Formats: sequence, C-alpha cells, structure tokens
Amino acid sequence: MRAHRATLLRLTAVALMIGAAVLLSGCEPFSSAQNTFSPGGEVAEKQKNLFLLVLWPALAIFVLVQGGVIYIMFRYRQRREGEPLPLQVHGSPRMELAWTVAPAILLAIIAVPTLGALFDTGRKPHDDALRIDVQGQRFTWNYTYPGYLADGAPLQLFGEPVSEDQPQGKPAELHIPTGREIGIYVTAADVIHSFWVPKLAGKIDVVPGRENYLWLKADKPGTYRGQCAEFCGASEDGKTGHSQMRLIVVAESPEDFEAWLESQGAEPAPDAPPAAEETAGE
Amino acid sequence: MAMTATGGPLTMADAIKQIRADAATYRGIWSWIATVDHKRIGVMYGVTAFIFFLFGGVEALLIRTQLAAADQTLLDADQYNRIFTMHGTTMVFLVIMPLSSAFFNLMVPLMIGARDVAFPRLNAFSYWLFLAGGLLLNASFFASKGILDGELGAPGAGWFGYAPLTLNTYSPGHGVDYWMLSLQILGIASLAGGFNFIVTILNMRAPGMTLFRMPLFVWMTLVTSFLIIFAMPVIAVALFELTFDRLFGANYFNASAGGTPLLWQHMFWLFGHPEVYILILPAMGIVSEVLPTFSRKPLFGYPFVVFSGVAIGFMSWGVWAHHMYTTGLGSVANAAFGVSTIMIGVPTGVKIFNWMGTLWGGSLRLTTAMLFSIGFIAMFTIGGLTGITHSIVPSDYQQQDTYYIVAHFHQVLFGGALFGLFSGAYYWFPKFSGRLLNEGLGKLHFWLMFIGFNLTFQPMMVLGLLGMPRRIDTYGSGPGFEGWEIWNMMATTGAFIIALSIAVFMVNFVRSLRGGEEAGADPWDGRTLEWAIPSPPPAYNFAEIPQVRALDDFWHKKYVEDATGRPVPVPAGASNGHEEDESGGGHGIHLPSPSYFPLIAAIGFPLIALGLMYDHALVAVGAAVVLVGLYGWVLEPATEE
Repeated sequence: MRAHRATLLRLTAVALMIGAAVLLSGCEPFSSAQNTFSPGGEVAEKQKNLFLLVLWPALAIFVLVQGGVIYIMFRYRQRREGEPLPLQVHGSPRMELAWTVAPAILLAIIAVPTLGALFDTGRKPHDDALRIDVQGQRFTWNYTYPGYLADGAPLQLFGEPVSEDQPQGKPAELHIPTGREIGIYVTAADVIHSFWVPKLAGKIDVVPGRENYLWLKADKPGTYRGQCAEFCGASEDGKTGHSQMRLIVVAESPEDFEAWLESQGAEPAPDAPPAAEETAGE
Repeated sequence: MAMTATGGPLTMADAIKQIRADAATYRGIWSWIATVDHKRIGVMYGVTAFIFFLFGGVEALLIRTQLAAADQTLLDADQYNRIFTMHGTTMVFLVIMPLSSAFFNLMVPLMIGARDVAFPRLNAFSYWLFLAGGLLLNASFFASKGILDGELGAPGAGWFGYAPLTLNTYSPGHGVDYWMLSLQILGIASLAGGFNFIVTILNMRAPGMTLFRMPLFVWMTLVTSFLIIFAMPVIAVALFELTFDRLFGANYFNASAGGTPLLWQHMFWLFGHPEVYILILPAMGIVSEVLPTFSRKPLFGYPFVVFSGVAIGFMSWGVWAHHMYTTGLGSVANAAFGVSTIMIGVPTGVKIFNWMGTLWGGSLRLTTAMLFSIGFIAMFTIGGLTGITHSIVPSDYQQQDTYYIVAHFHQVLFGGALFGLFSGAYYWFPKFSGRLLNEGLGKLHFWLMFIGFNLTFQPMMVLGLLGMPRRIDTYGSGPGFEGWEIWNMMATTGAFIIALSIAVFMVNFVRSLRGGEEAGADPWDGRTLEWAIPSPPPAYNFAEIPQVRALDDFWHKKYVEDATGRPVPVPAGASNGHEEDESGGGHGIHLPSPSYFPLIAAIGFPLIALGLMYDHALVAVGAAVVLVGLYGWVLEPATEE
C-alpha cells in the first residue's frame, strides 16, 4: 500500500512539473506581465529558447530517475521478514564509466549553444543602438537619453519613490522605439540594484562605482513591466523598500516614439547616432 | 579550595588539579558542561541546532504568511528584511552545519573504531563557540532599537550581506554588527571542528582500517572538513573587512569613497559555494550508509562514490562566480564559470546513479530512515537538474535572484541536506538512546514532510519563471503580478504542512526516548563498526580496539559470501565480532578528563564582540577571559595521573 502511495505521489509530482511547463508557455493564469516565458523581444526570446533546450533533456533525466526509483521501490521491496539476502553486487566499473561519460557528453552538447548565446546576449550594445543611461536609486529609477536634448540638456526622466503622499510611488515610464536595438547603461546612486524587464531581457546588476550594460530590443509596441531584482533594503521608516522599486517600459513604433520625444520637447543632439529607420534592419 | 592537600600555598597547577578532581565527580548538568566526550558533545550539537531549527522555521512561516496573498501587511518592508535575513543565516550556520557536526561527533569515532576525537577539549570548545555565536546572533533581536523598543533589532541586509547595503549608511543600528561578529565566531567554531576531524580521521582509525575501508560517511566528513578549513578563512577576511568598514571607518566596500562592492561578492561566494557542499556532502555520506543497510547490499561502486565526493570538493572552488553572472563580469568570465558549473554536474550525477545501483536488486526494507534517503535521491535530483539550468548563463540572466533560485537551493538544502539529516536521525537514534523511534509516527513525519516540501517549493519554480524576484516583502495584484497569488498560496500551505511534520517528529522523539522499543546493539543488521558495540555505547566506546579486515567489516563478521556471491550467515559462536562487547568492561582505559576551560575560553569571544559594539573596555575583559581559558587549558595535564 505504501509503495502504491509513493507512486501516486511521485506521478503527481511529475504531472505537476510537466503541467507547469506546458501551462507556462502561454495559458491565461500564467500570462503575468513579468513572465519570462512570453518574450517580447529578441534577447528574451533567445534566453527562453535556451531554457527550453535544457528543459527537455532535464525532464528526460527527471523521469528516468524518478521512474527508476518508483520501479525499484515496487520491484525490490522486501516482501516478508527473513527474506534471503540479495546478491552482493559491489559495483560495475563499466556501468559507472558509462553513467559518468554519458552525462558529460550530454552536458558538452548543451554547452555549445549556451556559449553561442552567451557571447551574443552578453555583448556590448552596438554603437548605433539608442543609448539610455539608467540610474538605480532607492527605490526608483531615473533615465537619461544622452542622444536627445531638451532645453539644451540631455532628456531626463525621474521616478518618484513611494512616500506618504504617494502610496503607490510613480515610476518614470521608460519610452523606447520598437525594432531598434536599445543600449542600456546602468549606474547606481546608492546600493546595488538590478535592472530587469523579463519580457525584454534578463537582468543586469546596477553596481555603485561601475557602469554595466545590456542590450535589448522590443518587437511589438506595448507596456512591459519589471522590478528591481537585487535586494536593496528598506526605507528608514520601514514602510517601503526593494519590492516597490518597479519598472515600466513603454515600447512604441518609431513614429510614436518620435511623437513622444516631441511632446517632451526633445530634439536629437548634434552628434547623436542616426535615427531608427536606418538601423532597423540590423 | 584555597589550600592544596599538602597544605602548601595555592599554585596554578594545584588549582587546576583541584578543579579537575572536582570535575571528574560531577553529575547531572555539570557533567554535560564539563564534558569532552564526543557522544555528549554530538548530542548537545544536535539538540541546540534543532532548537535553532525551530527559530528558523518560525521565521520561514512568517515569510510565507506575509507572501500568501498580494499586498499583505503582517510585516512591513523593514521587518520582512530582518526576518528573511535571520531565516537564511540561521538555517545555514545554526542548523544544517551544526546538525552535520552533530553527526560527525556522534558517528566518526564510532565508525573508525576510536575512543574519542583527536582533540576532545578542542571539540568542546567548538561546541561552546557555536552556542555562543548562535546566541549572539539571536540576541540581535533585542539590540538597540530592538524588540524592547517595539522594533526588530536583527540584521536586515540578507544572509549574503551584499555591500554597500551592509554599511552604516544603509544599515544603521547594530543588527549587521551582530551578524558579522557572530558569523566570525561561528567560523572559528567550524575551523576548530574541521581541523579536529581531519586529524581524527587521518590518525585515529582502528588498525586495518585503510582509507579505502572507511565508511562513506567518514569519507564525506573528511572532504567536508577540508572544505571548511579552506572556506572559513575566506569569509573571515571578508567579515574582518566589513568589521573595519562598519566599526572603524575603513573603506573596503564604499564605492563613493573608492571602495569596491564586488570585492565582497567575490569573497562571499568563494566561501559560499564550497559552503553549499559543506552543507550537502555530510548528508550524502549519511545516505550512502543508510541505502546499503536497508537494501542489504554493499554500496554500489564505493570507489566511484568516494572519488566523486572528492571531485566535488575540488571543483566547488571553481564555480563561485555563477552567483555573479549578472554583476557585469563580462562574457569571457561568465563562459568560464558556466562551463565549470556544467562540469560539476558530472560527479553529482555519478552519485545519484550509484545510489540507484545500490537499491537495484536489493531487498529493500522501507523504514523511515530508508524513506528519507530515497526521498533525498528524488528531491536532490530535482535540485541537481535545476542546477544545470543555472550553468546555461544567458537563461540564468532571467532566473538569477528569482524564486526559481529559491526553489532550487531549497531543493538541495531541504530536499537534500535536511532529508539526509533526518534519515540519519532515524537511523542512528537507537544507537544513542538504546530505543527505536516509532516507525508509524516516523512514516507520518516523512509523508507529511514530503508532501509539504513539494507543495512549498515546486510552485516557487513556477513563480520564478513568472518573474517573481526574491526578497520582496510584498507584491501587488495589478499588472506584472497576474497569477502569482495562487502559487504563493500553495507554497504557504505547504510550509504549514512541513511545520506539522516537524511537530510529529518532536512527539515521536520525546515518546520514543522514554518508551520506544528496545533496540539492542544492532537493530538494522548494520554494516559498520558502530553496530558492533552496545546501544547506548559505553563512555569508552570500544572495550577493545577492533581489528579491521575489510570495508563494511562488521557485516563481514556476520556473513561470508559463498562462491556465487550470495552471503551466508556465519554460524553462531564462530564470529569474532561480538565478544568484545561484554569483555573488558572499560577498566584501565584512559579517557580524557572533563574540563571547563574550553567553555571559559568560548565565553570570552561574545564578550569581545559585544565590546566592539558597545564599549571597548569589554573587549579587554573578553580577551582576558579567553586567555584565562586557554592558559588553564594548556596547563591542564592531558590524562589522569
């Protein structure tokens, strides 16, 4: 009976895992705006595909091991007290070598696409990417567009952290054009933060004293959400903190983006990189 | 007391002799306080760590209650940070490590046929320092602006303590001071224990017990001890630097004054990743003892399991930066650490397959100890597979610092380490109590914990992939958080089921201690030396030091294999394994004498720590206490005259 229960449990666990994997790929209750499994741009897409590439062999090994354990518990359970002792097998170098080498080969195969994607998604943004300087500050984000001037100074957007009269805070909306590579350059005003908009790209830590970078691209217009992913503490009164340091990215068609710039009173700086249309095919 | 027996003036040596004479006659609580017996120290480690486990568990329940639904306000952001910091620090340093130490202490001398560890007083010193560090850490709750002022005083910068958040500007008050100073003390305790067990294992094995006749648990203790003595100095340096930054205005980590925040991360994880294996290898050792006993077969491929453990030990030094992929190390460094992380999966996989090979073809007795070990295989496998996904660097850019990681390492440290430790508890309880833990309650404990564990941590994987970051005190219900609530509610439900399972364990423990079934010397038909002596073992362990002729020596005294490899019991009376139990009676065996000095030396350390925070004069007092302790310790004669 007990082994039977064990089986049921393990099967449920397996079903849950597989169910979760399937559901994650797009079913309604799983369509969180921060879902890493519904990418909205090239970088996030590549990262998701890589995860799936590993998921299937991992699931196969999972089923092999868990299935094996369940089978063994049924097949080799002691039926009655005083059963004669089983054959005393001490090992089998050949089999052990096999299950050392086989995973090693499997892992080496996985390593190849990993390294390819690593050098691609982790590279420095191209020179013609739209540069945005992001500053992490407890508990909000500030943005600077060095390529655009408003009233003679680079266009800047400041977020407002949660406070007494602003219970929800007011994150600045980061506007980007679709189809164009965006170069995000991050610096910190105080402690370590992490810039993360899951549907667009994985995260990059925002570390005091250094400038880190990340490139991303949004395929479709829309609002993409994220939040600070490196623990950055709480406010002095203890009421707010890391969890309220949220990100909103508004991706717009190049035309709408131009219109938005205009509404901000911004115009291209004299030495700015060329506009979106010319680099979109990159 | 002021005069010696000869009536002469009191000298230090006389005083020591007097104290020692008193100590030898202590009964009850004093015999525990002065003890240097590895078995008693092991019990004290286990009980103390279990109490801290309850602390850490309550903290976990607070976390889960806060996160059960969106926009909860049970804890505010600051309180939440302090609670999760204490949960992590407690579970790593005050629960899993000392529970492993409990088993090192209880089992290693018995398994290698020794009467005690190499340095019994150093062993007591380790325990008292551990207790001091644990109490100091938890005292932080009452620190300035602490519970007494209606606030939690505990550290709130995370168990990983990333600078510059740990600096005075962002973490005012004494919380982080308590944290860094108590970790420093706990590190000294671990170092002393690490050296002690290396020397014990290398020098005190019974004649004939070559390295490759050592039980696997002893092997894993050896590897873990080496990891400890190399890893602890690294965090000690990091903590010293933080201490200088916080207390003496130095500048290692403050970027705005030219310091380097990432320096902390490199040192913390250079310690922290070997630490992961310090936490898991002892449990792997336990599982490697339990599976053969209850499969009634030897461990499949003993040398492979040994070598894979040693390989993991070495490789654990080359993977630390996989905690730092997103810090901007650059693609080349990330590629190197991605590949090394992939590689460490190989020896880990070997162990899993070898354990399955051990089970295969056996005659499995599904006792509670066995269920926990099999549960270990099942749950640790998930931990290992999710670990592989971390070596896929670009995909890890998404998962880093999300609940996916929380799920992963609980799979390893709870589903792995803690399941293994519970397996050991059920397996060796009869050796030290003379009674068996109740199997019915044991199985109830296992199944509740197994269900609760899966219900808690598998939904966290989904949450991580849905974009939920770690260490957030709350989440909303608006855009961005769709679908998070249901999974969080599942996890919280699971956490309370785990709590229930722990309650069942405690009932079982107390009931069985008083009225459990009598165990006898060898209740499980065991394979290793500890089962050759009575339960509970006499103070001297072995009346006669055994002569070891094989791996699983005790088994081979009970059974011989015939030509086909099938074991046949040795006819009664022909065995030379049991008679030593009754003979001898322990007369004329030299045992180390009880001593107070390790305790006195250990008391000095928290005094120094408190002095650093509140009043430097107390540092001098603490240092004096340490010196008095060490002085008496050194002058104390090593054996009875």
